Parts: sequence; structure tokens; C-alpha cells
Amino acid sequence: MTIKHHPGEELLLAYASGAADEAVALLVASHIALCADCRTIVRGAEAAGGSVLSTAPPVALSQSAYQAVLARLDEPAAAILRSANLSSAVPAPLQTYVGADYETIPWRRITDGLAHYPIATKGGTRARLIRAAPGAAVATHTHRGEEWTLVLTGSFSDATGQYRAGDVQSTTPQVSHEPTADAGPVCINLAVTDAPLIFSGLVPKLIGKLHGF
Amino acid sequence: MMAYAATHAEPWSFRPLWPAKAAARRVRPRVSAMEPSEAVRLNAAVVAVAQARDRKAFQDLFDHFAPRVKGYLMRLGAGNAVAEDLAQEALLAVWRKAALFDPAKASASTWIFTIARNLRIDAIRKERRPELDANDPALQPAGERAADDGLDWAQAEDRLRLALAELPREQAQIIELSFLAEKPHSIIANELGLPLGTVKSRIRLAMARLRLALGDGT
Repeated sequence: MTIKHHPGEELLLAYASGAADEAVALLVASHIALCADCRTIVRGAEAAGGSVLSTAPPVALSQSAYQAVLARLDEPAAAILRSANLSSAVPAPLQTYVGADYETIPWRRITDGLAHYPIATKGGTRARLIRAAPGAAVATHTHRGEEWTLVLTGSFSDATGQYRAGDVQSTTPQVSHEPTADAGPVCINLAVTDAPLIFSGLVPKLIGKLHGF
Repeated sequence: MMAYAATHAEPWSFRPLWPAKAAARRVRPRVSAMEPSEAVRLNAAVVAVAQARDRKAFQDLFDHFAPRVKGYLMRLGAGNAVAEDLAQEALLAVWRKAALFDPAKASASTWIFTIARNLRIDAIRKERRPELDANDPALQPAGERAADDGLDWAQAEDRLRLALAELPREQAQIIELSFLAEKPHSIIANELGLPLGTVKSRIRLAMARLRLALGDGT
């Protein structure tokens, strides 16, 4: 897989530091499941975190803290689960949220060829899967905030270029675009937004509102 | 496997990449305050906990890391009681998950940082932490040679620490704030009185240097 469009380094850093909220973290974790280069950058940033931890000003624990932990060492610990289905096309971090099969997701139809599935996450950003049949487009919109779109299957294009599986498109508030699924396999994306989209045109506005975009 | 006591007395062959120049330019030595020999001792302690359930090694880890984890959590706004509880939980997790620690992939401080970070997200923000288990080779995409295969992470982390210590002050500050202030970069920018674009470009410059440090020597 050749990945051309990567998340910005500030996003990788926010994921590594833990500052990114759940939806953004889900997008980054899913991208690095597919992208070895960004996986290396994240691990490097985590090493920077280790360095920050080792130089953090120590704060003494209570006198009894060590004994309290010692007393619990022999408690049976919950088994460490590895539940990811490794033969699935769904990246492992995403499987926890949507299962291991895109077919069995309860998609909600938006228009012909276009469906979505909102993912429950906490924090200020929102995540959803968007499924677009070849030729289907998300109506022209701009953004109040930032939008990140990770392509999971198929590909889509807009005025800025083509995005294939593994690619992340980052758009800023000024950008107006009409992403359209290319010919070929169905295009499934993970889209994360930190503010509602602004559709142009009355019908897209109403549909957008109805589906909570 | 050598006993914990034997490994932690081992001499360390530390060789800075840019000896003289590096020392002259280093303005923030505290970033690399941990001596390499200390890092080796702490790594060996986790391995000893994993392989021999070595309580003496565990106590060493507790003494070193519990107050640092507590300090890290308090810097991020946790109160004393919450930080104390989570620091204890973090060290308990070190005991329980020690078998997952791989000194070829990360140092003890990096591994424990990720434990503390995730505990905090779970306990304080009540969010799930989507995580890729980088230690699970089965999760690597088929047919792709990962860029981090064959990278000696123990050495890479030493180079990274050195590179961190050498970052220009304004870049180092933003990297550090990224870990110690749970704020979007736009808010960090506001507080520093900088345009967001400047903060992002400093992050990119800093990350480019860290990337270079990771790549060296492979």
C-alpha cells in the first residue's frame, strides 16, 4: 500500500501525548495500523513522552503507598485480551467500535449511493464512517472547524487530488470541496470533524442537519 | 538471562553522536537528565519483574517512577488524591503487564509513560483509548516491511533524547507543553501569544529533527 497523504505531525504528536480526544485518536490509531512511517513517528513521539516523564518533577507519594501496592500484587489480574480479527479489512483499533465486517454495520442511508454510520466517542470531535458507491458525492461543503478523512477502502477525489486507502485528507475551515467516490470498489471513509460542516444549497443543508453532519 | 543485579551494574558504552559540538550547544540538559546507565538499570528491572517476579526490581521501579507519574499527572491538572491513586494503579499495571515490555522496542520510561497516559485518559477523561498494539506482529499489514523493523529502539531513544536536548528553546517548549498541558495546539498558541501557524511549524520543525534522530544509525 502506497500512502501519499499523512496526518499532520501535530496530529501524530497530539495522539502520542494523549491530548487528542477519542475521535481523533481513533483516526490516528487506524491510520498507523496501515502506515509504518507514521507508526514510527508516533513511537518516536512516545519516546519524547518517556523523556518528559523521566524529567517531570517527582511528587512524593504517601508513606503507605508502596505497601498498598505490594498488598495487591497477588490479586488475579484480568486476562489481557487480543480480540482483533486479523484477517479483517477493518483496522484493529476501529474494530472495537464498528466490528470486523463493513457489511454488517447498520448503515444509515443519506442519498442514493451514500450512507453513514455515526461512531459513539467522547470529547469534542465526532467520528463517523461514510460509505459512497462509485460516483456518489458528499455535497459541496466548507467547514467551521477541521475535518480529517481516512480512506479505508476504495478511493475518492476532489479538487485537491485523489485519496486512496490509508490516505488521510486534512481540510481547514477555508476549504470548500465536494469529495466524490471514484470508479472501482465502494469507498468507505472514517471522517472526523471538530465542528459541523457547512453545506451550500438548501437540500444538502437540510439533509446534513437531518443526519447530524 | 542475567540476573537483575548483574545487569544493572553493567558498564554502559554511551557514545554521543556529535560529541564536542553537541555539548557546547546543549542549552537544556534537564531533558536528558536521565543517565543512560539509569535507563539500562530500569529496563532490566522491568525484565526482571516479567521473568522472575522480582520484587526488589519492582521496588526500584516504584521508587523511581511512582513519584514521576504522580508529578506528571499533577502537571496535567489532577488533584493530589487522584494522582496518588493513578500512580499506584500505573505501577500495579507495570507489575501485571511486565511480560508485554520489550526493551528492544521502548525504554522503561517510554513504556510507563504510555501506561500512565492511557490510565489517565480512561480514569479522568472517561474516554476509550484507541490503540494499536505495536508489539503484536500479527497486526502489521501483510506484505509491508515496517519502517521500524530492524530499528534498534534502545539506541534510537538515546539519539532522540539527545536531539530533544538540542532543540531550540521555542521548539522544545512546545513539545513539552504538548505532553504537560492537555490542550489543543490552538489554545497553547493563544497562551503563548503566537499564531497557530507558528505553533504548527515549530512542531513540524521539532518533529523533523526527532525523525532524523530516529533514522540515524540504521
